[in-house]
Amino acid sequence: MTEHVLQMEDVTKTFGSGRTEVRALKKTSLDVSRGEVIAIIGPSGSGKSTLLTIAGGLQGPTEGEVRIAGERITELGEKDRSKVRLEHVGFILQSSNLVPFLTVSDQLKLLDKVKKGNMTKEERKGLMEELGITKLTEKYPNDLSGGERQRVAIAKALYSNPSLLLADEPTASLDSDRAFEVMKLLKSAAVKKDAATIVVTHDTRLTDYVDKVYKMVDGVLHLETEKGGAASLDEGRTDFLEKGGNEDGI
Amino acid sequence: MFLAWREIRQSKLRFALVTAVLLLVSYLVFFLSGLASGLAGLNREAVDKWQADGIYLTDESDKSLTQSMMEVDLADDVVADETAVLAQTNLIADNGDAKSGVALFGIRPDEFIMPEPTEGDEFSDEFEVIASDSLKEEGFSVGDELDLSGSEVTLTITGFTDDARFNAAPVLYMNLEDFEKVRPGAAAMAQQEGSAENPDGQPAETDQGLPGETVEQPEMVNAIVVKGSQPDEVPDDLEYLESETFIENLPGYTEQNLTLTFMIYFLFAISAAVVAIFLYVLTVQKISMFGVMKAQGISSAYLSRSVIAQTFILAVIGVLIGFGLTVLTGQFLPAAVPVSFDYGMMAIYGAVLIAVAILGALVSVWTIVKIDPLEAISG
Ligand SMILES: Nc1ncnc2c1ncn2[C@@H]1O[C@H](COP(=O)(O)OP(=O)(O)O)[C@@H](O)[C@H]1O
Ligand SMILES: [Mg+2]
Repeated sequence: MTEHVLQMEDVTKTFGSGRTEVRALKKTSLDVSRGEVIAIIGPSGSGKSTLLTIAGGLQGPTEGEVRIAGERITELGEKDRSKVRLEHVGFILQSSNLVPFLTVSDQLKLLDKVKKGNMTKEERKGLMEELGITKLTEKYPNDLSGGERQRVAIAKALYSNPSLLLADEPTASLDSDRAFEVMKLLKSAAVKKDAATIVVTHDTRLTDYVDKVYKMVDGVLHLETEKGGAASLDEGRTDFLEKGGNEDGI
Repeated sequence: MFLAWREIRQSKLRFALVTAVLLLVSYLVFFLSGLASGLAGLNREAVDKWQADGIYLTDESDKSLTQSMMEVDLADDVVADETAVLAQTNLIADNGDAKSGVALFGIRPDEFIMPEPTEGDEFSDEFEVIASDSLKEEGFSVGDELDLSGSEVTLTITGFTDDARFNAAPVLYMNLEDFEKVRPGAAAMAQQEGSAENPDGQPAETDQGLPGETVEQPEMVNAIVVKGSQPDEVPDDLEYLESETFIENLPGYTEQNLTLTFMIYFLFAISAAVVAIFLYVLTVQKISMFGVMKAQGISSAYLSRSVIAQTFILAVIGVLIGFGLTVLTGQFLPAAVPVSFDYGMMAIYGAVLIAVAILGALVSVWTIVKIDPLEAISG
């Protein structure tokens, strides 16, 4: 039996009502298991971030049910959802989600202050080496390059051993070489930590490294490719990426 | 405390500014409190020195010592562990070089308000006085002969005593037996009766009396000071005041105290507002950072505690430096500035300032609690 870390069942999300109503997410179901890495691509405004934030328990769905590690978060209040996030979810955001006045090692230390059961010293050392940030531990975010910052953000997200890793356009602020490198590291680190991972991105090359690619259009999620790289992409999708990918910019 | 300290270390300038504001406010508060207790001391230190429980005045005097006049024998009707009669008048004393407004107290040397001289001797002969040692700074010394305004009598300083100022005037303690001859009314009364050249030491008369017949005159005093009184057995025509009530009714005392206290309270309100605004601005700048932390599951409580801890640290530093500066300034003030530091009171004010700063930080706490992590993530 595969362990579904994230289970979303018939989830919808509607903002506003009447004439201003926006159906950001139409009936969507999505399961992600441990160690599985999926990508969601799609044009700007199609509902990708909405899906991701519902998956992470940052907002509730209008209908449907969401479980994280078996826990029905749709029935919890913000305080308990916050606990579930601390316990199970790691976020990586488009721009740095680092605390400006903490050094790299203090960013991780902060997590030790608020939660037990983070990585051991050795695991942490291994992760830092893998992400190539061992030499940066005493630096502040301002002294890091964009790519370094995102690598630290990955370390931070994985440090608390999350079972669910959610990344919303983690490479959007990077040039393509950096984006490539960061995505590669994200994927391998996530797999190594056995986290269920969702990466929202518009960068085609990033999808080379994932197990499944979903496409979001107008609040509807389609499975695009499974266990494949760019080579297996059909024409339609490439077209879409050229048209839609660019407008889904920074 | 982890987050709190790290941020302070990293943003020294910002937090130095908040601390500086708290420092200046606490400096001002401490200084005003020093001034308040200094000025209060000017008014009350002689009364405090007696360690009396209360004082009897005539009920028609409306709690005013000067307006209260009673026969000295009334002291026998007062039930108390210890009683001391007190006659009082205000005069200008002149030793030839210096003049000073003084409060002349006529007392009985065997009663408990009799002061211990800290320099020189007790009065023994006629017209000798023990003077407040604050007169030394004004150029008076033991052995000085004092001409008095409104009286022909000359007084001699035989000794000084400490803590002897009353209603902002240095006190001269003399024997009640001679006091009647010094009361300013005495000479005037004598003149009215036709004995214009009333020589020094000549007994003066009171209202109903005839010149030279003081022996039969009832001695008049202004008040009876008591220890261990039974206020439910107040003699007719008298009113019992607790010492504190008596002091509060000294002319100008309450008004002056209220003014300074009001200023201090106002400063508390100001520091609450300033700290609130400062921290709020700092917090608003960090909203997205807090939002990201909350998205990661760090609780509002943890973040709020961090802001409170920061405020506490800054307030303590500010108040301590303010305290140090106040004490330092106190060392260099001219003696004429009536500042006296009541460290107990300052500790309370310091604690209130810290509490008030933390109150100001609650605005930021509220802001943090209201942050929606979703907005920080998608913003
Ligand atoms: N809080 C909100 N209130 C109203 N409309 C929203 C809100 N969040 C998202 N939307 C709308 O939902 C749709 C999907 O948004 P989003 O999930 O951010 O798209 P994407 O991340 O794919 O660019 C958009 O039309 C957006 O305007
Ligand atoms: Mg988005």
